[in-house]
Amino acid sequence: MKTKSILLVEDNPDDVELTMRALAKSHVANSVDLAVDGVEALEYLSCTGKFAGRDPCLLPQVILLDLKMPRMDGLEVLRRIRSDEKTRLLPVVILTTSSEERDKVESYKLGANSYIRKPVDFSQFAESVRQLGLYWLVLNEAP
Amino acid sequence: MTDALTRVPEASEFRDRDDYAAALLNVVGDLSAEKSRLEELQRASLNILEDFAGEKVRFEETQRAMLNLLDDFASEREKSEAANRGLRVALESLRLAKEAVDSANRELEAFAYSVSHDLRAPLRTIGGFSQVLIEDCAAQLNDQGRDSLHRIVTAVDRMGQLIDDLLNLSRVTRVEMLRGPVDLSRMARKIFEEFRKSHPERQAEIVVADGLIGHGDERLLSVVLRNLIDNAWKFTARREKARIEFGAAPAGGGQAFFFKDNGTGFDMTYAGKLFQPFQRLHAMREFPGTGVGLATVKRIIERHGGRVWIEARPGQGATVYFTLATDSEEREVR
Repeated sequence: MKTKSILLVEDNPDDVELTMRALAKSHVANSVDLAVDGVEALEYLSCTGKFAGRDPCLLPQVILLDLKMPRMDGLEVLRRIRSDEKTRLLPVVILTTSSEERDKVESYKLGANSYIRKPVDFSQFAESVRQLGLYWLVLNEAP
Repeated sequence: MTDALTRVPEASEFRDRDDYAAALLNVVGDLSAEKSRLEELQRASLNILEDFAGEKVRFEETQRAMLNLLDDFASEREKSEAANRGLRVALESLRLAKEAVDSANRELEAFAYSVSHDLRAPLRTIGGFSQVLIEDCAAQLNDQGRDSLHRIVTAVDRMGQLIDDLLNLSRVTRVEMLRGPVDLSRMARKIFEEFRKSHPERQAEIVVADGLIGHGDERLLSVVLRNLIDNAWKFTARREKARIEFGAAPAGGGQAFFFKDNGTGFDMTYAGKLFQPFQRLHAMREFPGTGVGLATVKRIIERHGGRVWIEARPGQGATVYFTLATDSEEREVR
């Protein structure tokens, strides 16, 4: 059985490092793939561009999606994921700094499965990521 | 009678002189009667003419008055046209002012958004990697190094809290209000219950009056109640028998709601500062907080057409009062 991966879409290298660390600490066995902005995230899912060599049958177990990114932001990525038959049902968790109501509302409108605000406190952040991993990778049954 | 006037009888028509003389006399008598009637008629005519002349004067006066009125009317019209022009100018500048406010609000929103995003990100990096150092390298550091790291983490948390509070403060001014009757008694009981659950070690007597109904936006009013309860809860922490009361009292023809506690209180000399953001009357290590709570309360209460004030004495507790515009007052304001 192949381990299913997590796709982390995040442009801030510090946040990437901290998220990876939090996932490692919570013993998430899955491999984590990284896309540094919206465009790369879509390339990953369609196995084009930077990810042209990827097996197109392999979809991640869950996508952790940042909202504010260069080139293409998280909301646009989410919109495209939901409008593509192949990725329509993929669990997408918004992992962002913003606590603005409109970001939350817009994310859920576009079909986000969860909305998590990255806390400033790292131990809280690690705890959020641990619960996230537990829920989406262990408890949740993917479609 | 008319014949007598137009035709004098011939002497031959009379039988004798005497008859003739008598007839002449008759005619003369008739003539003098006619004359006096004519004179009367003339006097009456003159009277009428005089009256008519008076009427004419009055008529001319009326005409002048009418002309004056027309003049006045024309100048009034000019005035009202000038007023209309003034009004149009005022409306235009009002429209421009509104546009400026709208654009300032949009800017503020963009600013708040960027604060929420961009200021928090580096803060997370500082806090996160300090935590990494604490977890991975604590053994290699001496006490001072570990202490420094803990101070950094604490400061990062505090700054995160400040940013959040500031954003909330700006949010309560921007958010759209949906007004209706709000059961403040029920709302207060629910919030007190949450505080009790999160601090089960505290023994506090909570008194909430029944049936306190306020008119306003439910979400914003719950922010007010939460902030005031948080304060009362915080400043009674050192009382063995803490008591917090939520009630209403008559004030200025209406009613004021109040939260009364028997906590630390403060010197009223400094009360004016309390509603400014970041003003604190107590040392951070005594009573934690960012000093934004009461500023937030004030903004919300003012948006509700109400007033908020505090009465306190050092060591004797504090009472925070607030009023809300009633349904009808609010309609007047609109």
